[in-house]
Amino acid sequence: MTSSIFMHPATIFIIGALLLPLAKLLRIQKVWLVLIPLIAFMQIHYLPESFGRVEWLGFDLQFGRVDQLTTVFLHVFTLMALIGTIFGLHIKDSGQHIAAWLYVAGSLGTTLAGDYLTVFIFWELMAVASVFLVWYRKTRKSIDAGYRYILVHTFGGLILLGGIFLHYQNGGDLTFVSFAPDSATLAQYIIMIGFMLNAAVPPIHAWLPDAYPEATVTGAVFMCAFTTKTAVYVLARGFAGFQALAILGAIMTLYGVFYAVIENDARRILAYHIVSQVGYMVCAVGIGTEMAINGACAHAYAHILYKALLFMGVGSVLEMTGRSKLSELGGLYKYMPISMIFTVIGGIAISGFPLTSGFISKSMIISAAGADNQTFIMIMLLLAAVGTFLSVGIKLPYYIWFGPNDSGLKPKEAHWNMQVAMFMAAFMCIFLGVYPDYLYNMLPYAVNYHPYTSFHLSETFQLLGFTGLGFYLMVKYLKPHDVSNLDLDWFYRRGAGWFMWFARKPVNATNEWISNVYKTIGLRLTMALARALSWFDWEGIDWALDGSARGVVEGGEQVRQFQTGKLQHYIGAAVVLVFIVLIVVVLI
Amino acid sequence: MIVNFLTYLRERPGLLKWSLMAYLAFAVGFDFFAERHHAHFWGDEIIGFFAVFGVVGCLGMIVFCKGLSHVWLERDKDHYDK
Repeated sequence: MTSSIFMHPATIFIIGALLLPLAKLLRIQKVWLVLIPLIAFMQIHYLPESFGRVEWLGFDLQFGRVDQLTTVFLHVFTLMALIGTIFGLHIKDSGQHIAAWLYVAGSLGTTLAGDYLTVFIFWELMAVASVFLVWYRKTRKSIDAGYRYILVHTFGGLILLGGIFLHYQNGGDLTFVSFAPDSATLAQYIIMIGFMLNAAVPPIHAWLPDAYPEATVTGAVFMCAFTTKTAVYVLARGFAGFQALAILGAIMTLYGVFYAVIENDARRILAYHIVSQVGYMVCAVGIGTEMAINGACAHAYAHILYKALLFMGVGSVLEMTGRSKLSELGGLYKYMPISMIFTVIGGIAISGFPLTSGFISKSMIISAAGADNQTFIMIMLLLAAVGTFLSVGIKLPYYIWFGPNDSGLKPKEAHWNMQVAMFMAAFMCIFLGVYPDYLYNMLPYAVNYHPYTSFHLSETFQLLGFTGLGFYLMVKYLKPHDVSNLDLDWFYRRGAGWFMWFARKPVNATNEWISNVYKTIGLRLTMALARALSWFDWEGIDWALDGSARGVVEGGEQVRQFQTGKLQHYIGAAVVLVFIVLIVVVLI
Repeated sequence: MIVNFLTYLRERPGLLKWSLMAYLAFAVGFDFFAERHHAHFWGDEIIGFFAVFGVVGCLGMIVFCKGLSHVWLERDKDHYDK
């Protein structure tokens, strides 16, 4: 049993993270940083179907459960850990790497967990580790955003835990298996809401575009990959076929993309766009057919790589220029052409160009929606694809690298390790597009889908081309402005303000008023009462007590005087008493 | 090399415009030859449907989102700090 814990890929990352300061001391930090994810990436292929079963306080915990659904997620998570770590290789601060690896460990642990308690343990590890990726930016804004992030995730974790407890109370079985949509209980829906918070399903999505743009450059690369996709995994595992998810997912795809169209900060555009892309996966989980679940997994795999690539490209610009707002950038293509090429590859992959990974994964979900006769949802997904190309495929690269005006910045090209990481992700984006079977063979169900049909190609050519035309016509109107847009985090950001105001003003004022009332009325009353009691004490109780005390003293004095202490008096008194008794007896 | 090529293109907006037009003509032309036996709904049967869908969707989305931003959602960037 103990040995099987050590084969858990999360253990590799946790031990790797804990020994990282030692590696730094031995000056092998960079080697260590590449070695650990590489070992994990190799090691996941040799996991047995079930391992790490522990009995704890009467609960059966299962740390390792491997099947077709976990394989694809483990593969992309460990690959992403490798790419992300290489991207951050130049960072000397061990703390950031440790946080990132513990975060990865949480994600892998959740993916492998066979019961809900284990899910919850690793779920919380993810939340706690990832908040440090925000805080390590060390700006006032990121610290604030980190606190909001951890509060929202604590809230979500409590919902999940509440659902798990209720579920346990109902049935007593905590095995992490699929629930049937027809007989779902309240407890199961509560668990689903807990999962949905991490999948950033509106209206509980605002933590994502709030926190991710404030994270460190590498932190955002990690965060964009793990939290939401782990949530997609647990939803696919537990809640496949819940129609509510299909509808919410379709709404998500549009919601995220709408904000991506209007936002100004490049990383916030990408963050909103995660909401949109995860919407495709949530929608596919909700459709729940074999093809849809395959599509959700394939899209998660492809999405992690191209979204990370985009975050790396934009992160490189932020690292080299210190700016991420589109309104402050422009004309960088002369100075950072390599980062530009990689970012554009990410952009065309996310838009679903033929020969890229987006084409072979996104189309699978759209086709699954069509095959399930959910035409309206399918049209929403297609419209989101239009918005994706508009916002991330064209707008983002255009305003960073070209743009109507030159920013005047002359940054250097990104560090070599950043370029290597971007190359790896870009390579995978193209590789999967050219050779989709590599991904399709990993999927949970047998794939009976061919992306490269003439109709599908034609549909994509038109959609993308005419979206480009739309951009061309409206480019002036799309110009980003340096503003922030309201979102549903308004409720808790303003709500917290109101709460503080409420605490400061009405509660405090009431408190003051009550103490004034007490001072003026209460205190006087108390004093009067005290005086009355004092008077009663003096005049009543003391009089009575003192009176009786005086009586006792006087009586005692009289008795004392009566008792002379002289023997002849006592004998005399006794003789008198005897005579009296005799007289009484004789006479009567 | 790529930098020079892109600068070359940037200096010739007319060329870019006509390349885009040529591509759009190709995309619609290609649709005449696409096989349609996997049609999911009525739109899949119409030639050029996704061209119209793309441009109308894109323009509609820009007008809707930018409009909504201007009239409602837009705030100062330090809105919450006030």
